[in-house]
Amino acid sequence: MRRGGGPGRRAAGIAALLCGLAAASAPAADAPARGLADLSLEELADIEVTSVSRRAERLGEAAASIFVVTNEMIRRAGVASLAEALRLAPNLQVARIDAAQYAISARGFNNAIGNKLLVLIDGRTVYAPYFSGVVWDQQDVLLEDVERIEVISGPGATLWGANAVNGVINVITRAAADTQGSLAVFGGGNRDALLAGRHGGTLGTTGHWRAYAKLVRLENTRTASGGAVADGWERQQIGFRADWGDAQGGFTLQGDAYRGRAEHRGLLGPFELRPVEVAGANLLARWTRRAADGSDLRVQAYLDHTERDDAVLYRPTVDMVDLEFQHGMPLGAHRLLWGGGYRRARDDIQPGLFFGFVPPQRTLAWKNLFVQGEIALNEGLELTLGTKFEHNGYTGTEVLPGARLAWKPSRAHFAWAALSRAVRAPARLDRDLRLPPTPPFFIAGGPDFVSEVANVVELGYRAQPSTTLTYSATLFHHHWDKLRSGQLPPDAQVQNMIAGSTHGAEAWASWQPTPGWRLSAGLTTLRKKLHLEPGSADPVGPSNLGNDPTHQWVLRSAFNLPRRQELDIAVRGVGALPEPAVPAYTATDLRWGWRLRDGLELSLAVQDLFDAGHPEFGAPADRSEIGRRVALRLRWTP
Amino acid sequence: MDAVTPTRPARLRLRALVWAGLTGLLIGSGVECRAQAEPAAGEHAVKAAFLYRFAGYVDWPASAFAGAAAPLTIGVVGAEPLRTELQEVVRGRVVADRSVEVRKLAPGEPLAGVHILFLGRAEAGRVGALRSWLQDAPVLIVTEADGALAQGSMINFVVLDRRVRFEIALDAAEKHGLRLSSRLLAVAQKVTGGTP
Repeated sequence: MRRGGGPGRRAAGIAALLCGLAAASAPAADAPARGLADLSLEELADIEVTSVSRRAERLGEAAASIFVVTNEMIRRAGVASLAEALRLAPNLQVARIDAAQYAISARGFNNAIGNKLLVLIDGRTVYAPYFSGVVWDQQDVLLEDVERIEVISGPGATLWGANAVNGVINVITRAAADTQGSLAVFGGGNRDALLAGRHGGTLGTTGHWRAYAKLVRLENTRTASGGAVADGWERQQIGFRADWGDAQGGFTLQGDAYRGRAEHRGLLGPFELRPVEVAGANLLARWTRRAADGSDLRVQAYLDHTERDDAVLYRPTVDMVDLEFQHGMPLGAHRLLWGGGYRRARDDIQPGLFFGFVPPQRTLAWKNLFVQGEIALNEGLELTLGTKFEHNGYTGTEVLPGARLAWKPSRAHFAWAALSRAVRAPARLDRDLRLPPTPPFFIAGGPDFVSEVANVVELGYRAQPSTTLTYSATLFHHHWDKLRSGQLPPDAQVQNMIAGSTHGAEAWASWQPTPGWRLSAGLTTLRKKLHLEPGSADPVGPSNLGNDPTHQWVLRSAFNLPRRQELDIAVRGVGALPEPAVPAYTATDLRWGWRLRDGLELSLAVQDLFDAGHPEFGAPADRSEIGRRVALRLRWTP
Repeated sequence: MDAVTPTRPARLRLRALVWAGLTGLLIGSGVECRAQAEPAAGEHAVKAAFLYRFAGYVDWPASAFAGAAAPLTIGVVGAEPLRTELQEVVRGRVVADRSVEVRKLAPGEPLAGVHILFLGRAEAGRVGALRSWLQDAPVLIVTEADGALAQGSMINFVVLDRRVRFEIALDAAEKHGLRLSSRLLAVAQKVTGGTP
């Protein structure tokens, strides 16, 4: 952001100095830090910083509704899984379906097969391409090694591509250099048990590595009538990350492998339902280069294999390869970012008891190119214009443009507005699904299904009126067209005949009245006005597209007690879901932490303290009750 | 599919083309605007520069140095990228006629001959153990963890509005025989303990 008057001149002076230094010194590698050391204390204190990941930092100052979940917040929440950690973001709706499965969305359309959210772990897209959604029981990380989770509600299609319609979740783990030494975590309680370890070391003079293992066991849930649900879950995951390089560039190699297994589900008539079993592995390489002229280059490639054996639904195996690059460069006061990517997924989806895919095997490819310009219009006023062209095998090239205007009248205030177009491109589930797997069909695919389209207007304001208080508020309006609809069976086809709009607000604030006490609050509201287009024979209508509360809120207090103890309290409320009806609930979470000695932390977390059980999602007949969780945890860094 | 649908893709494509053309046009014209470079740098680089600059605003007791030629040593724990930057910063530089050395330290390692200790974010969990590690050695402790001043740190970096600032616990520094210049206190975002 530009600044006015004196600071502006000083900034220009510093910039000139930096540029001069960069040009003068032949080994550009040591220019920036050495140049900075010649500045006065005041000048140093006035320099804007970018973090290690440039793209992330742009998001931090981005004209978007972004909430950042930090490592410290995750630690103080006492949670054991990635999905539970996402409850910390006030702009996400997280509903636990059973022991391991979740419905997670931003700005509505929440569903077990929700498909409007893009989720990345260290730059790797983790949604399943066959339904453009995330299978949450197959995604986890060692939470202790997470640096932060950026949660952007609203479309991020211009940078991130199709499917970033309602939001982007970006999980970023710490660099290997920041996770040196050993860590062991032992946790257990009435709902889950956790055993995890990590060790990190050095590789030559500029490299670092870490490796981790995590074992999780989730107890099965029960229905309201007390019947046991066969959803107890066991999961093992290992992984590593190695980084080489310095501030000017580097190379990262990382990978994970996991296996998970639920309980045996018994028989349905003559059919053995078998346990759900999942497995997966991925390997990612990333190369970054930052030049002295302020330009940067990132090249990334990964392989991802996932498999899921669910005898009831379907049994997909997917192999994916993904390549992408991006190049950012300063152009005077402006900045240009461009890049492209290629992804190829080969799948084999064997039928389950209820669903099949025709054809069972398919290879799909996606190609994209994007360009984005950050244009300094005026003191404190910046316009970001960009567009992405994404080609998929079903609908051809989709154009995903966006325009964002940021206005920073002073350091403490930031206002923004954005217009974007995002699409959710067809997936195998929309085009090739069959119910049942063999004729006669109730659902016979969607040969004519095209992309769902959102045109979005957003207005936001963020402020930091003092060093102890920050707040953010966003208003949004999404106009929807061609949303997925059905027809009357038999041979019903998946169509695009629901349209309408959604609108609402997202707000959160954080206040630190004393150095050892932080209070925070969050609120989101959502109104949906969706209708079937004339001529549609969909017997169910928009309720198929998600079951969302009109509002949710949270209040948190993080208090540092004497003698290295911590007390965390959270009260969170979620409004009722309309169809199928799920009552509103309020949950109170408590955590007490005690650092027994250096490197040894004991904590007791009680989630949903006053409630033995409440449903969060699903139809009354057989849905799981989610209730009080008590977990004791020991965290040791020798 | 009803009769209305076929017209949609066509309309969509036209609108898409208009969008694309418009965006391209605006970006194209934007490039021509006036040039004004942005002062931006890595957080590690700025903190490294601060660490070096701090040395010039602190007086250590004479006992802190083995002799007149002894270097001024900055120990770094749990912040490898920053240490790399710092090494570049101090190469060939002098503070109060002393050369400056950067040393990688392991938690708990003896602090003899160390004048500034930087405890990086990766070891933020050890902030609470600083007092027992340090005892009363004349070492300037610099950290980058929320609430570190209450636990024995003397200077703590905070990033506010994308700028690296720092807060100072004056009493903690004075207890260890360090004198901080008023210039340093003036730039601090916050000073606790003692009367500046």
